[in-house]
Amino acid sequence: MKKTAFAAFIAFWSSVITLLVTAALQPEVIAADVEEKRFTLDEVAQHDSVGDCWMAIMGQVYDFTDYIPQHPVPPVIITAWCGKEATEGMTTKGYGNDHSPFAYQLMDTYRIGILAVAE
Amino acid sequence: MYSTRTLSHTAIWITALLPGLVALGFLSDADFSSASSCLNTLGRLAGIWGLALLLVATMLCCRVPGFDVPFGGLTKLWKLHHRLGSLAFILLLAHPILLALGAAGISLQASAATLLSTQSAIIWGWVALLALMAFMAPTMSFFGEPKYQRWKLIHRIAGITVTFALIHTLMLNRALPGHWSTIIWGLLTLLALAAISYRWLFSLWHARQPYVVSKVEHPANNVVELSLEARERPLKYQAGQFVYLTPHDPALADGVGEEHPYTLSSSPLEKELRIAIKALGNASRALQNITVGGKVTIEGPYGAFFPAPGQPHEPELWIAGGIGISPFLARIRHYAHRQEPLDVRLVYCVQDESRLLFGDELKSLFAKVPGSRLHVHYYYRQGPLTADFLASCCPDLGVRTAYVCGPTPLMDLTERLLKQAGVGPAKIVTEEFELL
Repeated sequence: MKKTAFAAFIAFWSSVITLLVTAALQPEVIAADVEEKRFTLDEVAQHDSVGDCWMAIMGQVYDFTDYIPQHPVPPVIITAWCGKEATEGMTTKGYGNDHSPFAYQLMDTYRIGILAVAE
Repeated sequence: MYSTRTLSHTAIWITALLPGLVALGFLSDADFSSASSCLNTLGRLAGIWGLALLLVATMLCCRVPGFDVPFGGLTKLWKLHHRLGSLAFILLLAHPILLALGAAGISLQASAATLLSTQSAIIWGWVALLALMAFMAPTMSFFGEPKYQRWKLIHRIAGITVTFALIHTLMLNRALPGHWSTIIWGLLTLLALAAISYRWLFSLWHARQPYVVSKVEHPANNVVELSLEARERPLKYQAGQFVYLTPHDPALADGVGEEHPYTLSSSPLEKELRIAIKALGNASRALQNITVGGKVTIEGPYGAFFPAPGQPHEPELWIAGGIGISPFLARIRHYAHRQEPLDVRLVYCVQDESRLLFGDELKSLFAKVPGSRLHVHYYYRQGPLTADFLASCCPDLGVRTAYVCGPTPLMDLTERLLKQAGVGPAKIVTEEFELL
């Protein structure tokens, strides 16, 4: 058991270093130099169903339509936020606990634009 | 019918695996929808199981006298503690790696961000994991064998890791729905906390009984047998059990205030406790010079080497090496004291005549107890113990339960010989002190 634990200990640090080094060496994807799409809260509000679900979170707009079936909790919890400013839902999960860094990274892949500030 | 030992070991494993099993019940198809989510799910399960095993391992360190008996003695209980702890360590190392690999499905940056996040829950996770590594390194002898006392001190404060890990878990709380999380982690935490409080508070202030050295004898030049007189309530124990002894005699050269385990060599019917101690380390060497009137404290008793009194008598074979004679000496003294017969063959393995401990007393005790017979095996004359020697002392090997106590090489050899002779593992009982 001691040998296995030692092997696991070495494997752990090797994996951490490999992951961090490869992530650091990979060139960052440069965002296309185009003007980002802007959406108002009114526009977001039109996409408020399970079959068409947008949300505004921390100044960004996301289209979660394809993601809802994959979300770990029953759909009703997340669909309640469709078409709305959902920063609270993201940061509290409804009971005061923030989502994980993994969730934030995952969220990025569904981003479609930024929230236009009402003038 | 399952033995108490199997049942108690199973109960511990079920308790340790329960939180992960509950979490399994709450998984949905989405958790397995892609390779990435499978890795993420495995990562979360590794975390839950790792923490649960760690909490149960913490619980088992409490060393409450009597609690170890259904497990087959304290050494067996600590083997279980060691297995749970090691498995927890491996699972907890796998936990962040699996989560990071899961995030690699999005991008390598996402994967790195999973490891290096500034979110406080993740920072607590790292604090817990690094602390666990620091505490486990000496236990697993990653960087060489540590000194016993230093290891013991480090291991005693290792319980703090559990606190960090719990903070991390409660801040994230992803796998178990709210109330389940509270019930399961709350319950396991309470049990672990109770165990730690016993060790830190009750054991230090109440469980240690004051004794005073009333007689000192030297059966050999590096062995001392102490007789100890209770100053408050005397210890109740079975022959073959052991205690933790802490000397408080400031005149000792070493080991003052340090606890070490020693087997009781007296019959439970005697008024005083007797403990035979061989000079094997600094503390036990210093104890060779303790004098009458020296103060010690005793905590125990522990161990379940021989069958509990009241169980039907089965023929026994005892194999002892060196100071490993102690539990057998206690049992034969007990039977001589009670003037009862005992069907036993003792094979006492020693280097040479000068290291035959308690030789004269053993001869007279075995002459007194009907059914008992003593055989001495001299290494310098006869070489290592052989199957033939065992068979010549004990032609009915197959019907006896073998009890083995001595240095590790002798125990390994004996176990091998006994297994070759067809003695089943259930009929071989060993007592080892390496883990203590």
